[in-house]
Amino acid sequence: MKLDQSSYMFGMILFELQDVVGKDCVSCRDSDKEVYSIDYFWIPEMWADRQKNNNITRPTADFIIHPKNADEISRILKIANNYKIPVTVWGGGSGSQGGALPVFGGIIIDTKRMDRIFDIDQKSMTVTVGTGIIMQRFEWELEKSGLSTMHDPASSNCATVGGFLANRGTGVWSTKYGKIEDMVVNMEVVLPTGEIINTLPVPKTACGPDLNQIFLGSEGTLGVITKVTLIIRHLPEVRKFRAYIFRDLATGLRVGQRLLEKNLQPTVIRLYSESETKELIKKVLGIEREGAYMVFGFDGSEEMVDLQMKCGMEIAAEEKGEDLGEELGKQWYKNRYKFFFPPYMFKLPQCFGTLDSVASYTNIQGVHDAMREVIETRYPMARFIAHFSHWFHWGAMIYARFIIDNPPEDPEEALYLHNSIWNDCLRAAIKAGGVLNEHHGIGIKLGRLVPELYGDSFIVLKQMKKMFDPNSIMNPGKMGLGI
Amino acid sequence: MKIKVEAIKLSKSLSDTLEACRYCFMCRQACPSEFISYRESDTPRGRGIILQSVYKTGQEYTKSKIEAVYNCFVCGSCTSWCEGAEIGHYDIPELIKFARRDIVKQKLMSPAVEMMCRSLVENENCFGQNKSESFSSKIKETEADVLYLAGGEVNFRNNEIAEAMLKIFRYLNVKVTMLKDEPSCGKILDLLGYQEEAILKASQLAKRIRSTGCKTIVVSDPLILHCLRNDIPGWAIDLNKNLKILHSSEYLAELIKSGLLKLNPVKEKVTLADSEFLGRYNNIYDAPREVIGSSAGSNFAELKWNRDKLLCTGESAFIHDDKVFSFGKKLGEEIAILANDIGAGTIVTLSAAAKNNLEGFKGFKALEISEFVAGLI
Repeated sequence: MKLDQSSYMFGMILFELQDVVGKDCVSCRDSDKEVYSIDYFWIPEMWADRQKNNNITRPTADFIIHPKNADEISRILKIANNYKIPVTVWGGGSGSQGGALPVFGGIIIDTKRMDRIFDIDQKSMTVTVGTGIIMQRFEWELEKSGLSTMHDPASSNCATVGGFLANRGTGVWSTKYGKIEDMVVNMEVVLPTGEIINTLPVPKTACGPDLNQIFLGSEGTLGVITKVTLIIRHLPEVRKFRAYIFRDLATGLRVGQRLLEKNLQPTVIRLYSESETKELIKKVLGIEREGAYMVFGFDGSEEMVDLQMKCGMEIAAEEKGEDLGEELGKQWYKNRYKFFFPPYMFKLPQCFGTLDSVASYTNIQGVHDAMREVIETRYPMARFIAHFSHWFHWGAMIYARFIIDNPPEDPEEALYLHNSIWNDCLRAAIKAGGVLNEHHGIGIKLGRLVPELYGDSFIVLKQMKKMFDPNSIMNPGKMGLGI
Repeated sequence: MKIKVEAIKLSKSLSDTLEACRYCFMCRQACPSEFISYRESDTPRGRGIILQSVYKTGQEYTKSKIEAVYNCFVCGSCTSWCEGAEIGHYDIPELIKFARRDIVKQKLMSPAVEMMCRSLVENENCFGQNKSESFSSKIKETEADVLYLAGGEVNFRNNEIAEAMLKIFRYLNVKVTMLKDEPSCGKILDLLGYQEEAILKASQLAKRIRSTGCKTIVVSDPLILHCLRNDIPGWAIDLNKNLKILHSSEYLAELIKSGLLKLNPVKEKVTLADSEFLGRYNNIYDAPREVIGSSAGSNFAELKWNRDKLLCTGESAFIHDDKVFSFGKKLGEEIAILANDIGAGTIVTLSAAAKNNLEGFKGFKALEISEFVAGLI
């Protein structure tokens, strides 16, 4: 449904929405429509850049709404259902998958006014917070009491807590503390039909399926997560890091796997492929070396950290890693976000994308090799880099990227090339035992591949969507769930 | 409102800023304007996208795009928090100033901005007050080695700051003068996009300064300091190069260092709200700390965010008719939370604007630095 702004019906619906949140909290301003039509997905950025010389447009929202709580969202969703208006939820808008884009117009619900910290329970070590809070600002508040969620991704500066929940995000300390989905105690959710529900007070029950897990990663297609209780931790006494160069990626992968296998608790393991070591590590950290760069680290009490570090260093030495010392490990920690700032980050007119996937230790090297082979054999204009930054007892996550310095000028050709690379690389990854994504989500970027990934079980997602959202108003076009 | 605009061209460095910032989210947590409106268009990235639409893809300026350009506090917090700014030299405030100049050139500014300009041009203040209401309208200009410039906000609203400064001069037997009907320096006009008018004002001020024959200028307003040290030379306006130009905090720090001024100790916890125009634009961070430290000693405590990382005190959240850009208190609220976090009894500010934005919150009192010092001699 695209509304004609000059019609009285537009005014009638606008009035209903203003009645819910107040006049100042509904925007139909062209400046907002412009800005909310681009997230961190390459396609809308490229489209906007090339608008001047091409007769192209971007889909925009009709109404951008800033509700302050679940009740207001409930009322907005009831109005949207009445008129069958698409609703897209926008947190920080920093997702890379186009998940927050209003691709069929309608309403954008910007959650950032829901930024209140309701309760810090230092006995249970939990915090209850509105999902619109910017992660970094949330962490600054927790820091005052020496606490942290330990969810510390590069997008902390710009993404909301709700954005992480909706996309099953992760942070640099995930190897010890888990992804955001591992930190959830309970949630308040507004269902697409307007009911406000709360999941069970604690997650580890035997009272049926965990409802949290239905909404985590649902990318706003099954409802709006408005409040969450998360696990918190005391900030560690110390964090110590060590940097190494291993002769190749395979050796680095083995070291990472052994660190976990030995039941050590590394806070972080970051392993950079030979090509990323050459390109990015040199650029950001100034280290010029052949091989695979790795940083691992531990946190906690100094005694425990030193003991774990000793064990970790023994493994690295057994694998003949060149010890670059503590200082270079610290440097990585200090500069861990720098990679994402201009001019370090890739930028248009370059064409680029993050092909993050996850697989078992048995398959992870194969996933890397399969995607690299696709790039090297089918897309000679592109280069391929990768690092491995989130590690589990059973496998690891690959953060692979392709970069094309001079993509086609024509936007449609550029889109075709971009999407072809994604299709080919991710199909190869799935074949090798990987999945479509590990922590960025699906959005509009990868939705078309979801039925292929899920195969027979895709029907479960389809039927859930139908049951929760009978009018299909919530984030249509995303996650392969159609409109 | 749709207006046909013939956009002017961006310089290479501003174009680089636009390209770097238009899709980058990495300073969002540091932009003070977003946490007032919660709108994406009130972020550095949002403004980048809007300016890209005008200057790169040839779209028209509209009323709401113009509003987004004027919602920026040009405080430079985004640049301070950008980990790539050091090598990329990105400068969002300069980009915003460029856009405002263009908007003014195309006569697209809002009536409120126009009124503010008129008030500054005719009455030397942006509050819409008559020239005769100023502190400096009542003084007698004399010959002196030291010239004290109060600035618009002190002159028209916060006379107590000028009185505190004059008390310090008297205490030290310093022969000082002010300018009768002190002209504005033009900095606010410059920040609003009226560069021609700003240059004219700065020239008039320079002429009045020259006529005093002073050797040292002490200013209370960081905007004047910025104008005298940076804009006047940049605009090639004639001003004695040997003139010593100091913010009051620098002047007081020199006196303390030389032993000419000794402050009584304060017993409560004191903190400092850094000034964006003194700090980020002129690297003045130590002088106010030396002044406060000489009295407070270990009772001086830093805010969690300080120096270039303090978001914004609102020195360019100009107020006209008590309405326009009246977000200063919201900016103050953020800093008030930080002050209460550390249990400060006093927060020292470096401008009248910062004092006004920090006044009235529970838990502490806000004093401009000359008031702080005048109370301790």
